[in-house]
Amino acid sequence: MTTEDMATETEADDDTDSLVTSDPGKGGLSENDDRGTVMAADTIVESRDLDVFYGETQALQNIDLAIPENQVTAMIGPSGCGKSTFLRCINRMNDLIDICRVDGELTFNGKNVYDEDVDPVALRRRIGMVFQHPNPFPKSIYDNVAYGLRTQDKTENMDAVIEESLKKAALWDEVKDQLDKSALNLSGGQQQRLCIARAIAVDPEVILMDEPASALDPIATSKIEDLIEELAEEYTVVIVTHNMQQAARISDKTAVFLTGGELVEFDDTDKIFENPESQRVEDYITGKFG
Amino acid sequence: MATRSESGFGEVSRLRGIVFKYLTFGASLVGILALGVLLAYVFWDALGLESAGTAWYLTYTVTLLAPLLGFLAYARDKPEVTAGAIELVGFTLAGGTLSFAAIIVLIVIAGPGVWVTYFLTVVAPVIGLFLYGQYEREATWVGLAMLGTLVVGPIVGTLGLGAISTVAALLGAPGVYFLSLVVPGAGLAAFLAADRFDASRRVALGVAVGLLVLAIVGVPVVDTVPIVARSVWFAVLVMLGLPVGFAVTNTARQPARRAAFALPAIAIGGFLVGEFVVGAIGATQPSPWLDWQFLTSPTSSLPADAGLYPAVIGSVFLIILVSIFTFVFGVGTAVYLEEYAPSSGLLGTVTRLINVNISNLAGVPSVVYGLLGLGIFVNINIQFGPVVYAGIGAGTVLTAAMTLSLLILPIVVISAQEAVRSVPDSLRQASYGMGATRWQTIRNVVLPRSLPGILTGTILALGRAIGETAPLIMIGAVATKYNPPSGLFDTLTAMPLQIYTWAFLPSEEFRYGVVAAGVVTLLIVLLSMNSVAILVRNKYQQETY
Repeated sequence: MTTEDMATETEADDDTDSLVTSDPGKGGLSENDDRGTVMAADTIVESRDLDVFYGETQALQNIDLAIPENQVTAMIGPSGCGKSTFLRCINRMNDLIDICRVDGELTFNGKNVYDEDVDPVALRRRIGMVFQHPNPFPKSIYDNVAYGLRTQDKTENMDAVIEESLKKAALWDEVKDQLDKSALNLSGGQQQRLCIARAIAVDPEVILMDEPASALDPIATSKIEDLIEELAEEYTVVIVTHNMQQAARISDKTAVFLTGGELVEFDDTDKIFENPESQRVEDYITGKFG
Repeated sequence: MATRSESGFGEVSRLRGIVFKYLTFGASLVGILALGVLLAYVFWDALGLESAGTAWYLTYTVTLLAPLLGFLAYARDKPEVTAGAIELVGFTLAGGTLSFAAIIVLIVIAGPGVWVTYFLTVVAPVIGLFLYGQYEREATWVGLAMLGTLVVGPIVGTLGLGAISTVAALLGAPGVYFLSLVVPGAGLAAFLAADRFDASRRVALGVAVGLLVLAIVGVPVVDTVPIVARSVWFAVLVMLGLPVGFAVTNTARQPARRAAFALPAIAIGGFLVGEFVVGAIGATQPSPWLDWQFLTSPTSSLPADAGLYPAVIGSVFLIILVSIFTFVFGVGTAVYLEEYAPSSGLLGTVTRLINVNISNLAGVPSVVYGLLGLGIFVNINIQFGPVVYAGIGAGTVLTAAMTLSLLILPIVVISAQEAVRSVPDSLRQASYGMGATRWQTIRNVVLPRSLPGILTGTILALGRAIGETAPLIMIGAVATKYNPPSGLFDTLTAMPLQIYTWAFLPSEEFRYGVVAAGVVTLLIVLLSMNSVAILVRNKYQQETY
């Protein structure tokens, strides 16, 4: 099955399956804006005036947010504040919920993903997602990582790509002898890293993580955190977390959502945790509230 | 502050819980007892155990029953031996069922011409594609190609039926079954030897050649037995020989399991010794109604000559068609309703209405479905321009199969919906999150995961269909038929209908002996079909973890 000697570098395949008919080009806003100490980067995902409703209930209000490329952006806030909803807007997973309605603009590489001509399936092929609870398919480890490659017809050189993805997810050494065993036999932390390997196997541009470590023990959590920092070298990572220390440890930028679906503050992580502008954010971070 | 009790923790009453526990136990006992009494009653009559003498019972207790009980006592605390014994018995029974099914379906119902046609256009290409898919895992088109073959193959086969049958006739029936059963069987044997038992290439090849040689060498031997045709020999060799050979090899290779061979030795040896002793002392033997003659002859006005053969073939024919119809339409409906149908808004109301109606249809009495079948398949004559639809004939195989399919379709749909619904949403989300389309998600995640549940529901529903009498009477199936149905538009009789007819004959021997034999046959056919389906289901469950 997997051959050991195929560790040749896989060329970053030129992503020809274009998301939309028109060429979006670079969505560059923040080329030279003054966002403090963190190196300025191109914006890859940006929302303007984004409102989300579940039926009559408004889950997000007027969200303006620019997520920089190749950095880790964390979203923190109390339960029900809409941070997961925002995450799911980026790859249009909210489309799967019948009563969900999205107003406003959310651009990916400068193209509004809620435009009529955007195919959500094609969008999700470029924005990977890792969920709160590890959800490997009830298939073998190999088939799990191969799943995206097969569905997206990227089966060329598959064994090598799978090995590479498992290595990037820091799981290869633990599973290389049992690739044809069920993924459900792995521990929770291993399953979550498998889900990350599955997401990066198809080489997305952005990886969304919805509380990826909340169901894991501290050791598994620290492995996932190390992994996220490494992933940020190649991918843009957007992570939702309940754990403020986690956000402080791994992210470059932090967005704080508070009850009612408002984005209260968005800035460099250091600034948010050391010297936030909003009193509410300070109260939340210091534990007076939330 | 809560008041502090003075001594100990006190007690919490469990009386109601205990009473409830024994009530539930009693309820399950009633069901099991009723079933046990029924089985004992029909087996007693069907096997004619009443007429056997004490000597016969004593002989077999000593030669067969006592050694078997001894083996059970010996194997009780030896899990390896028990596992080996279960494997030997299980594979033999499964092999027997497979042979029975192959003989009825491939040789009696289909016949060499039809079988070889669909073998060439459907079965062989699908198996070939499946094997290729296993070998070349990167080929994603294989699944689609298999689906295409399943759709196009039957059409091509039907068109080419005449031509291929003519060619096959030149080959002769035994030749057809040799090429389509024994040759692939030899390949399977070689593969199993190499894959499961790590046999070398030469040994695996030897196994395959050995099977072919055995098949040919066996021909002159079976020619001396009048009731076994050459085609039957080939079918039994593959369908029974392969599973038994597999189980025997597997047991023999594990020293801890070898004691399991005592079980077949005791069973066969005990039976032979018993026969010999009974013959020698001249003990009165039971006179079973259920014997070879019963299974191979049509019904008759004399109880002793009556048999169930046309009804057995008719029932199996029905079940094959019903399972195809209900699986295709039932699973299709369930997947549409669960995965595609709108769940909100006006159309969502329509979906809910349909769901409620399907639940109601599942409870409609079977005689009503009989009327429906009579109305839309028999007593109908409508004209669309030049096309006249005048039904598909009273009491034909197709009419009966479609009526029974309508009868169990709601049950199949409901259980399949349940199975599809039980697939965790997190798996669907994972699939969509990977950029899979809805079709890919259903094909790769939802269906594999829900298939065991779907199969269970379908099997239970088929069990209901095979035992139905009322709809068959309504659509005009004949009660007395002397030869099995030869095609879709031939009339048929089925086992429950035949049993029902016998139960009203004046002769007591019919009402007790022959009916009991018929019931036992029905039960055995039902249970063996179920067990094959359960084996398939368990296999699938293991594969999808």
